[in-house]
Amino acid sequence: MQKPHRFVIDRVAGYADEAAAYLRRRRLTRKPSARVYAPGGRGACYPAETEAGQRLFQAAARLIDAARRDG
Amino acid sequence: MIHEALASVTAYMFADVTANQRSGPVGAPRPPSAAVRAALERFTGLSRDVRGGAVLAEGRVLAATGDAAAWEPAARELIAAADAAAGESAVEAHVATENGEAYMLRDGGLEMVAVTDRFTLASLVLADMRATLRQLRAEAAPAATREAA
Repeated sequence: MQKPHRFVIDRVAGYADEAAAYLRRRRLTRKPSARVYAPGGRGACYPAETEAGQRLFQAAARLIDAARRDG
Repeated sequence: MIHEALASVTAYMFADVTANQRSGPVGAPRPPSAAVRAALERFTGLSRDVRGGAVLAEGRVLAATGDAAAWEPAARELIAAADAAAGESAVEAHVATENGEAYMLRDGGLEMVAVTDRFTLASLVLADMRATLRQLRAEAAPAATREAA
């Protein structure tokens, strides 16, 4: 019969593996995105191909650049 | 030499004017600039992923983690882009790019922008930003009362 502490260690290791795999998948599949929420919780995605999306990505790039200058 | 000194002093004066509660149109009570700087420090200290941020009121930077003059136009541009996309005053925006992620949050007359590394959890960053603005609003109310007295 398996010792109780072994069971716990296996269980924790299993969860950690699953979490690591989830984060790996997330990194691989996550693409640039822009999401804006209006009052009332209404949210919408704006792909980079759209005019609104393009403006959001340009503004975000400038903000990221300002943060980079912070050093 | 004198010009350099003057330039630095005037830059400081103008940076301080943007943080002055009495300047500009009076809207919602503004928190003291020292409180805004402290709140930003706390916010950036919450996570190693946070690169920087700024707090604005009516489009003017109250405090920023770096050069306010660099943050202000970029922050205003993101806020304007989010408003244009939403077709009204946007409450929050999250833009994930290859080089980092940009956030915007509006709450109680204050706006906050932040930049983080890639792959941060947006909900956590926005929750931290919301808590920062909520705290600033709470600090602004007594300051406004003292100012009025």
